[in-house]
Parts: sequence; C-alpha cells; structure tokens
Amino acid sequence: MIAKLTSSERQTAVVIVLLVAIAGIAMAAAGRNAPLGVHGLVVILFAGALLYSLLSAFYAPEPTEEREESYYDDPIKVGIVLAMAWALFGMFMGVWIAAQLAWPNLVFDAAWSTFGRLRPTHTTGVIFGFGGNALIATSFHVVQRTSRARLAGQISPWFVLFGFNLFCVLAVSGYLIGITQSKEYAEPEWYADLWLVVVWVTYFLLYIRTLARRKEPHIYVANWYFMAFILVVAILHIVNNLALPISWGSAKSYTIWPGVQDAMVQWWYGHNAVAFFLTAGFLGMLYYYLPVRAGRPIFSYRLSILSFWGITFFYMWAGSHHLHYTALPQWVQTLGMTFSVMLLVPSWASAGNALLTLNGAWHKVRDDATLRFMMAAAVFYGISTFEGSFLAIRPVNALSHYTDWTVGHVHAGALGWVALISFGSIYTLVPSLWKRERMYSPALIEWHFWLAIAGTLVYVFAMWNSGILQGLMWRTYTEEGSLAYSFLDTLVAMYPYYIARTLGGFLFFAGTAIGCYNIWMTIRLVPATVVSEADLPATRAAPAGE
Amino acid sequence: MDLDYDTLVAFSKSWGLFYLMGFFLCVVVYAFWPSNRKHFTRAKTSILDQDDKPWR
Amino acid sequence: MPELFHRKLERSAIGFVLAIIAAASVGGIVEIAPLFTIDETVEEAPDMRVYTPLELAGRNIYVREGCYACHSQMIRTLRDEVERYGPYSLAVESKYDRPMLWGSKRTGPDLARIGGKYSDAWHVAHLINPRDVVPESNMPAYGFLGRTALRTDELADHLRVQKTLGVPYTDEMVENAARDAYGQAAPDSDFAAGVTERYGDATEMSAFDGVATQLTEMDALVAYLQVLGRLTEAAYQNTVAPQEAPDPND
Repeated sequence: MIAKLTSSERQTAVVIVLLVAIAGIAMAAAGRNAPLGVHGLVVILFAGALLYSLLSAFYAPEPTEEREESYYDDPIKVGIVLAMAWALFGMFMGVWIAAQLAWPNLVFDAAWSTFGRLRPTHTTGVIFGFGGNALIATSFHVVQRTSRARLAGQISPWFVLFGFNLFCVLAVSGYLIGITQSKEYAEPEWYADLWLVVVWVTYFLLYIRTLARRKEPHIYVANWYFMAFILVVAILHIVNNLALPISWGSAKSYTIWPGVQDAMVQWWYGHNAVAFFLTAGFLGMLYYYLPVRAGRPIFSYRLSILSFWGITFFYMWAGSHHLHYTALPQWVQTLGMTFSVMLLVPSWASAGNALLTLNGAWHKVRDDATLRFMMAAAVFYGISTFEGSFLAIRPVNALSHYTDWTVGHVHAGALGWVALISFGSIYTLVPSLWKRERMYSPALIEWHFWLAIAGTLVYVFAMWNSGILQGLMWRTYTEEGSLAYSFLDTLVAMYPYYIARTLGGFLFFAGTAIGCYNIWMTIRLVPATVVSEADLPATRAAPAGE
Repeated sequence: MDLDYDTLVAFSKSWGLFYLMGFFLCVVVYAFWPSNRKHFTRAKTSILDQDDKPWR
Repeated sequence: MPELFHRKLERSAIGFVLAIIAAASVGGIVEIAPLFTIDETVEEAPDMRVYTPLELAGRNIYVREGCYACHSQMIRTLRDEVERYGPYSLAVESKYDRPMLWGSKRTGPDLARIGGKYSDAWHVAHLINPRDVVPESNMPAYGFLGRTALRTDELADHLRVQKTLGVPYTDEMVENAARDAYGQAAPDSDFAAGVTERYGDATEMSAFDGVATQLTEMDALVAYLQVLGRLTEAAYQNTVAPQEAPDPND
C-alpha cells in the first residue's frame, strides 16, 4: 500500500494517522461511557489498523522508478475492493430489513436490531459506502486518464479514501448504538460531519490540482460531472448539517434549522444528494466507461455539455416536490414541481446520448455483459428520471407520497441506474487496473447481470403495486361518504408485496455476491497481460494550443 | 434589513427566471461556438487512446 | 511559454468551478431565502407551549430510534388525510422541532395528532409488543425502553442549547430540567407542582409506564407521543377547508 511513498512521505502519513488516533482518544475521554466514548474507541481502532499496516512496511525499499512516469492506481484498487465490500454489507442489510417488514419477528431482543436503527445502515451502506467508494475510485481513474497526468498528491488520495471510509464506519456503527440526527440521508452526528468536511475539502483540492496538471487542453466532460459532484455535495452537506452539540462531551446535537425551514433545507439536501451524489458522479462514470468499453466516442459531445448545465441548474430547484400539500408555502411547491418536470429534458438527453453512442455497437452489447450493464443502466436512468418528474406533479404526488411507490422509484434509480453503471464500470476497470487479460469468468458476469435485472424488476414491480394500491385504499370512500379502509386494512394488503420485494432484493444481493467472487478470483488467479510495445502511447501528438 | 417575505418572493420569481434564461443562453453559445468544435471532437475521441501512461 | 500555458489551464479549471457554483447555488437560495422571513406569513399561535424536559427526552428517543422512517408527522391538506388523522398540520406546529420529523413514508400511520387518542397503558403495551395489541402489525417491539433508565443528567444542556437556538425556555426551566422530568412522571411527588407551574396546567402529569418510582425511556417516549399535536390549538381554529383528493380520471 505504501510501497510508492518515499520515507519522508511515510513519516507524514504516520503523523496524520497519529493525529487521528489522538482525536479518537480525546473523544473517548470526553464521552466516557456515553455513545461518543464508543465512537472514540472506533476511531482509535481504525487509526490503529492503519498505523499497523503503515509501520509494518515502513522500512520497505523506497520506490526507485520515476513516479511521474505512471498513473497512481493503488488507491483506486483499494477503493474498488472497499466499494464491493460495502455493497455486500449494505445490500445484506437491505434484504434483512425488507424481510423484517414482512416478518417483524426477525429481530434480536435488543435495540440495535430494530428496523429504525438498521434502515440507515442500509441506506448509508449502499449510498455512501458502495456508491461513495465507487465514485472516489472511478473519479481518481478518470481524472488521471483524461488529463493524462498523475494524481497531484502522494498521500492525499489515501487520506481521502480512508478518511471517507472512517466517516462511513462512524455513521453505520453510530446508528446501531443510537447516534443519529434522524435527518434522512444525513444521519451522522456533528463530529462525523465535521470530519467529512475535512476529507471532502482535501478531495476537492486533489481533484482540481490534478486537473490543473492536465496535458489535454480541454477538460473532458466526465470530469465536469465529478467536479459538480464534489463541489455541490460539499455545499449541501455543510448547510444541511449546521448544528449545535449540547456539549463537547456528547454526540447529541440540535440542528440550527427549525420546523418548516428544516424541512425545506433537508429536502433541498435530500433531493440534491440524489442529483449530485447519485446522478452527477455516476454520469461521470457513464461518459467515460461506456464509450471506452464500446470503443466508440460519445454520440454528441455538445449534447453532453448542454445536459450537464441543465442538470446542474435545474436539480437545485426541485427539492420542494418532496413536500407537496404540506405546511410549506404553496409557491415553493409549485416551483419545485415546475423544475422537476423541466429536469426531464437534460435527463433524457443524457440517457439518449448514451444509448445513441451504442448505435453500431449493438453486437457488442449482445456479447459483452459488462457493456450490457451500462446499457441497462442508461435505460433505467431514463425510466426513473421520467418517473421522478411524473411523481413530482402535485396530483400524482398526492397519491404516491408516503407510499411504497416512492421506495420503488428510489430503487429503480439506485439498483437499476447507480448499481448497474457501477458494476459495468468496475468490470471494465478491474482487468485493466490489475493488468489482467480478462475477468476470471465471463459466465459469472452474465449471471450477475441477469440476477441484477431480475431482482430490480421484481422489486420495482412489487413496490409499484403496493404503493398505488395503498395510496388508493387510503382515499377510498364508502357509499355513505366515510373512509372505506382503516390504516390496518391497508397494511395487511401490503404483506404479499413485502415478501416479493424481499425476494427481489435477495436476487440482487446474490448477483452482487457473485460479482465480488468474480473480482476476487480475477485479482488472485487470472494471469497478467504481457506488456507489449503497442501499449505505449501511440498518439503522443502535442496538445493543441502549445 | 427591511426585506419582507413578499419582496423576497417577488425577487425570486422575477430575477430567478432571468438568471435561468441568461445562463441557458451562455451555455448554448459555448456549446455551439464554432472554434470550440475542434476541442470537443478531440476530447471525445482522445479518451479511446490505448495509452496508459501520463504524458510528460 | 509553457509556464504561461499552464497558468491559463489552471484558470480555466477554477473558472469552471465558479460556474458550477453559480449554476447550482441559485435554486437553493431563491427557494430557501424567503423562508427565513416566513414568520411574517405563518399562522399565529399564542397558546403554543414548549416541550417539557420529559417530552423533549422522549422526542430524542423517537429521533434516536429512527421512527420517522415509518411514521410521518405531517397531515397533508387532503380531505381523506384530515378525516383519517385530524386537522392538517400547520407550519407553526413544528416551529420548535429540531429536527423536523415530517417523515417521508407511512409504513405505519401518521402520528402528528396521536396525542390523547390512546391511553398511556395502550401505548406501553403496544411498544412492548405491538402484536399483543394489533395482531397484524409489523412494527418492531420496543420492550427495551421499559428496561432502560432515562438519562436526566444532560437534560439541562439540552434545554440550554434549545434556548440558544431560540426556543423560549426560561432560565428557571433550564435549571430545573432534570427535576421536572421526574415530576411529570410522578404526579404525587414534590416535584410535580413545579412542572405545571412552569409549563402550564394542560401538561399531562402521569406515571406513563405505570411505575411512578422509576423514570424510564418508556415514560419519556409515551409522554412525547401523548403531546403530539397538542402543543397548540391553532390547527382547530380558522383554517380553510381541506382539498378533495384530485380525481385520477380528470
């Protein structure tokens, strides 16, 4: 891991890890038996593990080759392994809590295993653990290749990667012991949030400094999406998490936003986390790995620029569609609805651009499951953005809100778009990063693909049915003009769908497990490619403008 | 600060819209500016190079 | 020349960053900024009282357990919701709520006006095992709340921070936070009088979990559930009629 660091850089790394450990000790001392103290211990253990791996290789020979001659791929490799590990964890939790809704006794008689505490471990595990690590790893890869420059730092990529994972570990372990702000998708408490700000600023500086070193005159559009992801997530995270802790020795804090303002800030955050975490960053993947895998340039570069600015601009306005018919002022609701509908234009432009890129390469889509992952992702992106705009329309939202339809919509996006594009990118990336001639088993990629598709479809159809059914039952009146169904009647009607959804989730999880096995075996068993002369830069033309 | 709610709402509803249209215009001009065409063509094909080393 | 070239590249990257910020920040500012002056348009609720320390502690348990994942606290302005749950929620009703718990999903029913609809004993039995009371329920059992003593030593800190943030707690309320928490759940004790004095006669005084001698997390959570929707009467006065649910066939 640190073989590429010089001895002075190794010392710096040790100092940083020691500082983190000291922060952990301070937290443990201040928090004592309270949850904050437990988190101090978690930080100490995390830093200790890093320190161990640093010190055990501390006196290994220093790198001899000129480092600027090669791309910095080690952090990317670790990032991909971590992403897959988080995917396994997060999706397992998802299957478990889905099963809890159908069979509520699937719990231990302890606080940590209740639905309310496990649910954020699922959302954080898949969104931040799996999605975040996949984004960090692929953004490091894409920015280097498209800039034709090495990452502008030796330690900072590791700091970003492990720092982010420390945040995820704090988040997930915190929910289990009862540390949460109960702000959806922003549950971690103030100290974890502060830590993420430090990590994120480092990430931003690393990224922009690498871009500044680029040898290509034009910044490739994939980097635009990654850049928007990094920047806007920073803004969202800071504004939404402004809070006052009750004391320095307590994990508990109160947000500075009260009531209706908190609702608006929260859904401005929540919706744009979908936009800039779960859409922009993954579009960055799409615009790089899909053309590379298909061996064809993107259909229209101009269209990708127009849709980039469309998405960056419109999404910010759309958050209030989560609050239709609530105590939020009506003009804000209307504005949110309008922009949500307008969002369909840039969203479909992106999806169409991706699919048109494949025109002329459909035989590859048929034969290559990796490319098919990305094709299916673009299709699901198109479907779920259409559904999103549709659900943002007030009368539709009156029916869908508070029901499983929302859950189905989110999973059409999360499983069908985010996870599929990530798997496609990772399957493209793994052989080239580890210098293997191919993946261990193409057949297992096929299995993964079909399990993922089947799982997504079962899940989404179950949730469409249950959501619309429950929404309609809630508003059904009898002949006499009274409500026809009690809430309980509508819950009882949900059970078959909750079972179906558990099955769908399990299929998807099984596909992920197969993917992990395949990646692991590729790293371990597949022979390395022979480096031939042909791999050296073939088009070393001087960049324009020089 | 004598900004009241209605002023702010009116400001949002008018200038927000102008801003949107101005922004859109700039982006379209950038995307279709003739001299940018060669950058775009180069950018979209250059990622397909089989090249795995940084340029010096 | 290469030097100059490099600087130009760097400039374009930074210009690009600024453009992203310009594009992305406007939507948020335009929508959120007016909400800071929303006090001018929000309904008046002079009768609104603050959460007692025990209710606040219960609210924090609700937060800790992530109850919002399945229960909303926001009745929309639709006729069927008003008939099912009660008058629709007003902005003023959550003005002391940090965080707001409007929620986004109703796996279970809305709780915005659950206060007073069921007895304390019902809530306790339901929390210990929901299926004892509602056989078809899929809610988790929260028996551990009744076995866990409520932490009261930090309650004054909680109130102090809330006061800093603008919730009208008095210094006296902050000072007596822990005592008032005991008093509310032990109506016959010496501490009880102070609670009604500071928080009003309408405050529900009860041995919520049936045991007045020990203060548990169950006491706090039930106290909170029983006050939901009852901090003010504003929602029952002078509000416009709810809307018909839009007809999908229109």
